[in-house]
Amino acid sequence: MRVRRYGILLAVVLVSLVLLTVQTRGGGTGRAGELVAIAVTPVQSLLVRINRGAVGFWANYLDWKSVRRENTVLRGENERLRVQAMQVGETHEENARLRRLLTLRDRLPLATVAGEVIGREAGGWVRSLTVNRGRGDGIGQQTPVIVPDGLVGRVVQVHRGAAVIQLLNDPASTVGAVAQRTRTAGLVEGDAGGTLRFKFMARDGASVAPGDLVVTSGLGTLFPKGLPVGRVLRIEDKGSALFHFAVLTPAVDFSRVEEVLLVTGQTTQDVAGLFPTDG
Amino acid sequence: MWRLLLLLVTVGGGVLQSTVVAVAGVGVVTPDVPLILTVLIALRHGPESGCLAGFVAGLLQDVTGGGLVGVQALTKGLAGFAMGLSVGRFWVSNPLVQVPGLVLLSVAEGLGRFLLLQLFHYPAAFGDLMLHVILPQALYNGLIGTLCILAEAGFELMRRRTWI
Repeated sequence: MRVRRYGILLAVVLVSLVLLTVQTRGGGTGRAGELVAIAVTPVQSLLVRINRGAVGFWANYLDWKSVRRENTVLRGENERLRVQAMQVGETHEENARLRRLLTLRDRLPLATVAGEVIGREAGGWVRSLTVNRGRGDGIGQQTPVIVPDGLVGRVVQVHRGAAVIQLLNDPASTVGAVAQRTRTAGLVEGDAGGTLRFKFMARDGASVAPGDLVVTSGLGTLFPKGLPVGRVLRIEDKGSALFHFAVLTPAVDFSRVEEVLLVTGQTTQDVAGLFPTDG
Repeated sequence: MWRLLLLLVTVGGGVLQSTVVAVAGVGVVTPDVPLILTVLIALRHGPESGCLAGFVAGLLQDVTGGGLVGVQALTKGLAGFAMGLSVGRFWVSNPLVQVPGLVLLSVAEGLGRFLLLQLFHYPAAFGDLMLHVILPQALYNGLIGTLCILAEAGFELMRRRTWI
């Protein structure tokens, strides 16, 4: 009994350490991780649909209650009209979102693949989204992911029919960026609190001010130049420190992202003009 | 049969965590449902089941969350084992001990994960993680754990009344 108990513990520790060792030596998670992902992805899709259905049902119920209070005679008709209006509104919103995505896709000088969000990890250690596009759709590691408001993050894991996207506010995320107005270069990093920080050399950044838009620098070949990352909220001046930090409001509301574009092509062109620039 | 049920509960918790729970957060804080399930399983079925449930749940979270695969499998496996071992000691059958125990175990699991990730140069600062992730999540876990224990007690009461 005792041997079995500690045998299980030892096996769990050894398997975990082997998995970690294989990854850190560049082996990836291999077929085991792939198989788990294949089994989990459809269940994730199903649960997200059930969750959306439950939220829609709750909204319907609230509307029904308010209509009954206002007019009991017209309650039935009101309810029906409101449900219809909600459905139309929902469709209209979805239409508008997809239209914006399509407009961006058509205007971008880049090849893109549209994807739907089927899972989220927002616990703080890792901030990621899972989308229903994977290796079979031509998605690779490090693929940039955007929405009409700006940059969402990059793909960090690719499975056959799904990909995991590391969000910009993940603590391990780093993106080369510039302040659009002053061209001050720096790095945008996520932090554990869920915000973004723009780290720049103090000597270069004296004129960076709240309200400035920060966009991708295009240095390196990963992200196209000019993708909106965030807007400066405040500067954290550390006096004589070599680096200063600006706290950014992300250009994208990560909690509301439902559809994304995965950028599969490359361009050297500055794409900032294709995104909204209003504060 | 009950082993299959345990496996279903564990896997279901892992999938729930990446779908439904992820949108039910307060601010940036979400409960760690797989850890809560691991603790509940360990309390009722001992260290072996706790350890295996924690391992499976952690592995699922690692795969679906995009982090290093094996980190949560290891920390949750150890947490399940430790909680299972404590059954019969420290009055863990008492709900007044179970909830603070869950909170403390959540903090310990977070610390363990942080220490393990240090080996892989995880960039976040300890203070930030403690303030924004580990402590709020531990409290949230305690709240969910309380609700689970109350629900279980209510169910038990109803079952007895029906039986009488």
